[in-house]
Amino acid sequence: MKPARFEYFCPRTVDEAVDLLARYGDDGKVLAGGQSLVPLMNMRLARPAVIIDINRIDGLGDLRERNGILRFGALTRQRAAERSPVVAERCPLLRDALRLVGHAQIRNRGTLGGSIAHADPAAELTAILSALDGEVTARSARGTRTIAAADLFVTYLTTALDPRELIVEIRIPALSPGAGWSWMEIARRHGDFALAGVGVVLVIRRGTIAEARIALTGVGPTPVRAGAAERLLVGHAPSDTLWTEAAEAVRAAVTPDGDIHASAEYRKHVAGVLTQRALREALSRTKEAA
Amino acid sequence: MRLEGTNLLPASVETVWKTINDPEALRRCTPGLKELKEIGPDTYQATLTIGIAAVKGTYAGTLAITDKRAPTHYKISLDGSGGAGFMKGEGTVDLEPQGDGTTLKWVGDLQIGGLIAGVGQRMLGGVGKMLIGQFFKCLEQHLGGGT
Repeated sequence: MKPARFEYFCPRTVDEAVDLLARYGDDGKVLAGGQSLVPLMNMRLARPAVIIDINRIDGLGDLRERNGILRFGALTRQRAAERSPVVAERCPLLRDALRLVGHAQIRNRGTLGGSIAHADPAAELTAILSALDGEVTARSARGTRTIAAADLFVTYLTTALDPRELIVEIRIPALSPGAGWSWMEIARRHGDFALAGVGVVLVIRRGTIAEARIALTGVGPTPVRAGAAERLLVGHAPSDTLWTEAAEAVRAAVTPDGDIHASAEYRKHVAGVLTQRALREALSRTKEAA
Repeated sequence: MRLEGTNLLPASVETVWKTINDPEALRRCTPGLKELKEIGPDTYQATLTIGIAAVKGTYAGTLAITDKRAPTHYKISLDGSGGAGFMKGEGTVDLEPQGDGTTLKWVGDLQIGGLIAGVGQRMLGGVGKMLIGQFFKCLEQHLGGGT
């Protein structure tokens, strides 16, 4: 399996990269970790005329935390984020989700920016960005703009990014102090794309839910933020009855497709079951703020 | 793979019928259509470039309209192949008056095989539905409706 012919560029700076993107537009494709793009090219399902390899741009792989926000250079390897003590301390939800992205070998190369820009409907990172109200900074020859998770994902493999734009940074807010979290997903085999997955964050104050975040993957063209289920939880005391109601609200909010791996009905059902389990696990991890 | 949908179009049954039989309208509204050539009565040769994001393929094939019961019903068959795989489909279109407009009901059974089906299985149904949705949205605009 060999890719079709393409022209290769290896810019050393973001400016160079966005100039190339401006020049080649739709014909160009950014190569980050290449864990989705390269197989597609090798099978000749994708035949970009120009590859712009951003791996040699300095400083695009840095990970920092400032004012409660985790800032990842677009080229941060998934494995680096997964093993980062900062991520483990400030956003364990992200760490847990990353552990289920493909396999370790894939995460060694795969990047945060690449996964988000690829926007696979069953990706973990897109759902995390959505659950935590993250955002990305995109650069083009014309300037810089910030895109919130809610505006970023359009449909299958499609984001609001222009073909001339490059994601340079991903910002994910840290979890609130004392928050409990859970990432749950079901796949046919370990490392496969999830049939359904859910990320949950819960904050408890004085015995009631003060903050609830629920986002799902694999159950629609884009990650699904379950706003109705979140609103149903906030202000109430946690209970199994409440979790059942939230699961029902999640089922009502998702429109999965069926395929040979799982039917639409099964995915919808599992989305609810996973939500219940994740809410239970998240609750067990909450710590009441003093 | 069975796909179906219903669209409300802002025009009379007769007007909608004319539009869905008009090669010009089909040309304008079929996503990714590169070429549509009439090779016989209600039979067309089509070349389409369809896909999503970087995953795009070009398919060549034939499209035939049969079982016409003007102005409310026809059957459409599709047969095509390209580098990434092949597709074969059959569907029916039924029109029904609905106030000042027309309800268009479509049901289709699409088989997609080859490489693209092996790799893209997870997204085929959804993407297929989306492309058909684009087609009808375009018809709707063509017929003077809002979005």
